[in-house]
Amino acid sequence: MSRLQESRPGKKLVKTTRVVNGIDVEEEIWVDDLESPAFKLREDCRLLGKRLKRVDGPAKLTGAAEYTSDVRLEGMLYAKVLLCPYGRANITVDVSAAQDSKGCHYARQLLEETKYLGQPVAVVAAETPELAEDALRALVVEYEALPWALDRDQAIAEGAPLVRRRGNIGRPRDDGDADATAAAFAKCAVVVEGEYSVPVQHHVCLETHGTVVDFRGGEDAIVYCSTQGTHTITGDAADSLGLRNSQVRGIVQHMGGGFGSKFGLERAGTLACEIARELKRPIHLMWNREAEFLTSGNRSGAWQRVRAGASAEGVILAMDSEVERYGGVGGGSHAGLPYLYKVENATRKHSSVYMHLDTNCAMRAPGHPQASFAMEGVVDELAAALEMDAVEFRKQNLRNDAHKSQLDRVAKLIGWHEHPNRTSAGGVDGLKAVGIGFGVSQWGVGGSPVCQVDVRVQPDGSVSAEVGSQDLGTGTRTYLAAIVAEELGRPLDGVQARLGDTRMGNANASGGSTTTPSLAPAIQDAARQMRGVLCAAAAETLGCSAEEVVLQPDGARGPNGSLTWLELCASLPPEGASTRGKWQSDLAVSGVACTQAAKVRVDLLTGRVKVEKMVCLQECGRPLNRLALESQIRGAMTQALSYALLEERRLDPRLGIALSADLETYKIAGSLEIPEFVALVDDEDLREGVAGIGEPPVIPGAGAIANAIYNACGVRLRHLPLTSDKVLNAIEQRKSS
Amino acid sequence: MTDRTRDEGGCKRAADQRAALDGLSRRAFLKGAGGVAAGSVLRSKVDAARAQDSAEAGLEGEVTVEFMLNGAPERVKVEPRTTLLSALRHHLDRPATGTKEVCDQGNCGACTVLVDGEPVYSCMTLAVKAAGTEVRTVEGVAGADGLSTLQSEMWASDGLQCGYCTPGFVMSLTACLEKNPAAEMDELRAACSGNLCRCGTYTQVFEAGLAAARAGKKPR
Repeated sequence: MSRLQESRPGKKLVKTTRVVNGIDVEEEIWVDDLESPAFKLREDCRLLGKRLKRVDGPAKLTGAAEYTSDVRLEGMLYAKVLLCPYGRANITVDVSAAQDSKGCHYARQLLEETKYLGQPVAVVAAETPELAEDALRALVVEYEALPWALDRDQAIAEGAPLVRRRGNIGRPRDDGDADATAAAFAKCAVVVEGEYSVPVQHHVCLETHGTVVDFRGGEDAIVYCSTQGTHTITGDAADSLGLRNSQVRGIVQHMGGGFGSKFGLERAGTLACEIARELKRPIHLMWNREAEFLTSGNRSGAWQRVRAGASAEGVILAMDSEVERYGGVGGGSHAGLPYLYKVENATRKHSSVYMHLDTNCAMRAPGHPQASFAMEGVVDELAAALEMDAVEFRKQNLRNDAHKSQLDRVAKLIGWHEHPNRTSAGGVDGLKAVGIGFGVSQWGVGGSPVCQVDVRVQPDGSVSAEVGSQDLGTGTRTYLAAIVAEELGRPLDGVQARLGDTRMGNANASGGSTTTPSLAPAIQDAARQMRGVLCAAAAETLGCSAEEVVLQPDGARGPNGSLTWLELCASLPPEGASTRGKWQSDLAVSGVACTQAAKVRVDLLTGRVKVEKMVCLQECGRPLNRLALESQIRGAMTQALSYALLEERRLDPRLGIALSADLETYKIAGSLEIPEFVALVDDEDLREGVAGIGEPPVIPGAGAIANAIYNACGVRLRHLPLTSDKVLNAIEQRKSS
Repeated sequence: MTDRTRDEGGCKRAADQRAALDGLSRRAFLKGAGGVAAGSVLRSKVDAARAQDSAEAGLEGEVTVEFMLNGAPERVKVEPRTTLLSALRHHLDRPATGTKEVCDQGNCGACTVLVDGEPVYSCMTLAVKAAGTEVRTVEGVAGADGLSTLQSEMWASDGLQCGYCTPGFVMSLTACLEKNPAAEMDELRAACSGNLCRCGTYTQVFEAGLAAARAGKKPR
C-alpha cells in the first residue's frame, strides 16, 4: 500500500523538510493529529507581528556578547594551520624547528598529499597568536607540486589529473522528452538561446569557522563552536576527544554568520579537539581569513546553456538546457531548469565537473540563485523578443498565483508603470540609462518535529524559555522570548530567552530556512501549556474556573477578582512550574513566494552600474518579528546585489594559486553600494503557520539586476559578476552593431 | 608542474604578504624594534618613536605599553610586533573582546577603535603606537545608562544581525558623529565605507546614525 493511501488512527501525514548537510530534502512524516495551540489572533497580539527590538541587541552593541572566537580560558593555546599554497602537492613537513620555537607546544603534519588548493597541511599550537604564527613560519615544508586541475579547461583536458577515480566529469543526467520538446520548439513564434555563467561565491562569514575546546584531561569537555547546529557539536567532538557524547557540552551563545557553511564541528573543530585531547589543554582554533576563503565551502559555480521558445501570445512552450556545476571536489548544486516558470515541454542535461578546489557546500538557497539567474534572463529575453511587458509576460507563465499578485505590487513600488521601457529596452546613446528588472523565487520551508522547548515560571515571578537552538543573527532568541511573553501576557523583557547549549532541549541545525517553522510551533506549544498551568493556579486562588482567567501584563484576572503577577507566581509550588513544548504541524507553513524588482542606473561612458532601488515582497506565513524579517530580507537583497555585481573567486590555474583569498581582492557590497531598499513582509499571506525566510529573498536579485541593465540599455549580460568592463564592452558592441 | 619547491617556513602565506602599515611593515618593524629592552615601559608617542629610531637587532623581548583604555589606565606587556587588536583581544589581563578580528589586514573595519578620537584599524596599528594615547573601544562608548544615543538608535532600527561587524560600525559612526553631531547621510555612509557587513544591515545602521545625529546630542 502506498503511503498516501495508508491511514493511521490519531495520526496525520504532513509534508516537511529535512536538512542533510545543509541541503533540504522534502519528505512526508506522520505526526499526532491534535488540535494545535494556535497563536493569538493577529489583531489581539501585543508583540507577535510587531517590530520588536532584538533581546540580544544591547549585548551585541556594547561588545558584551561572547562569540566562540572571544572565549578565553586559563592555559589556553592558540592553534593555527598552514595551507597548501599549490593546486595539489606531495608534502613533507619537518616540524622539529617549530616544536622548538618559543611558546610552541604542538606541531603536526596533517597529510602527505593534498587534494585541493589551500588544504590544511600542518597545524601548530602556541601560547599566543603571534607565537603560533612564528611556529608556522618555523615549519620546514617541502612541496612536490603535482599536476592539478583548477578550472574547467584543465579538468576536461586530455590526460587531466584525476580529481576522482571515476573521472572529472560526472555522469550526465538527461531528463525530458526530446521529441516532444523538438515538436514544441517547431510551434514557437520566437526562440532565444544564451549561455549563462556564475562564478563560485564565498559565504564570507565575518566570524571565521572555529572552535574553542575546554578540555584538560578527565571526563568532561565544553566545546564552543561557531556553528549553525548546536546539537551537532557533541557527536563530532566526542569522537575527536575520545569521550562519550554525554560527556561533551556544546555551546553557541552568539555566532558571527554562517549562511549555510557551518554545520557540525567542521575541520577546525575536529583539529582543535584532537590537539586538546593530546595536550590536555584548552585549544582556540579559528580559521584565518585565507582559510575561510579556501577551505570552508562555497556556493558552486555553474555554466548553463539555455534555449527557450514561446508562442506569439506569450506562452513559453519549450525549453532545452544544459548545465555544468562547478563545486570543486564536490558535485556542486543547481536547482534545475526550467525554474519556477511553467514550460510544458522541456529537456535538460546536467553534469558536474570536478576540480582540485575545496568542496561546495550549502549556501543560502543552495543551487537556486544559479538557476534563477539563467531562468530570469531567458524569460526576459522571450518577453523582449515578443515586445511584451516583462511583468505581464511573467504573470502569464508563472505557476504560483502568489507571484502574480506580488509582481503587480512590486511593479507599482518600483515605478514600473511610469517607466518608459516596458516593452522594449532603452538605447546606448547618451550618458546614462535607467532600467528596471524583475525576478521571482519560492522556497519549500516546512518544519519538522525535532525541537523541545522548556518554559519555566518561578515563584519569584521570573520566566525563562530555553532550547538548544542557535541564533545566527536572524532573531531566534527574540521570538523565543516574544512568543512566550505574548501567550503569558508578560512584557518582552519579562521572559529570559536562553539558547545555544546542548544541555537544553533538542533543536535542528539551521538549514533550509527550517529553524523558525520547526522551533516556533514548539515554543507556542510550551507557552500555551504554561498558560494553562498558570490559569489553573489563578483559578484556584480566585475561586473560578481556569477558562475564566485572563492573563494580562499586570497579572491574572478572574470574574471575582485579580492577582498581580507576583501573587500568581507565589502561589506556585516551591519548584515553580515547567512545561515542555513539541512541534505542531499546523503552526508551520510550507512554500513561500518572493518577488523582487531592481532599478539600476547604467553609466554608458564607463559601464558602471549603480543599483538605485530594490523592492522585495516576501511571504512568510505568520510574521513573528517584522523588524527582524525586514532586516533579513534587506540582507538577502544585499547579498544578491553583491553576487550580481562584485563577487567572484579568482585563481591562476596555470600557477595553481588563489588570487582572491582575502577581502581586498574578493569584493563584497559595502556602504557605498547600498541602494534604497523596500523590504516588505507580504501581508496578503494570511496563513497562521510560520515560515523561515533565510533563503528565498537571496535568489532572484541577481537576475533582476541583469534584467534591469538590459532594460536600461539593451545589453544582455549573461556572466556574473556584471563588472564595468563587461557592461562597457557590451555597450560598445551594441553601438557598433 | 613537477618542480620540487622548497618553501621554508610557509613563506607563501598571506600573513607574510601583508602590506606596509604606516610605511612600516610589521616584519620590518619587528626587525628594527628590538632595541626596546625587555621590561621597558612605553608611555608616550615620543617614547614609541624613539624606540623605533634607536632600534637595532634582537627580536626577543617584550615591552610594557601604557595607555588609557575606555577611561581607565591599562598596562600590557607585549612583543613589539603585537598589533593593538591582538593586545586588546589576547594580551590584556582581562581581554577586551568586543573589538573583532575579521580580516586582520585592514580590509573590513571590524576592529575599528578610536585612538585619541581618530578611528583606526586596530589590526593595522601596533600596540606600541598606542602608548600614551586614549583608546576607546565598543565597550567604552556607552554612558552609565548602558547605551549611547547611537547604540540605542542602532538597537531601535535593528542595525545589527549576527553582530560581528557591529562594534566596528559603532566606532566608525561614533567618531563621525563626534566630529559632526549634525552629520547627514552622505557623511555617515562615507564614515562607514571602510566597514563591511555580510548580513547586509547597512541601511538600518545608516538610519540609526541619522537618527542619532537628528537627536542633536553628541554621542558619548
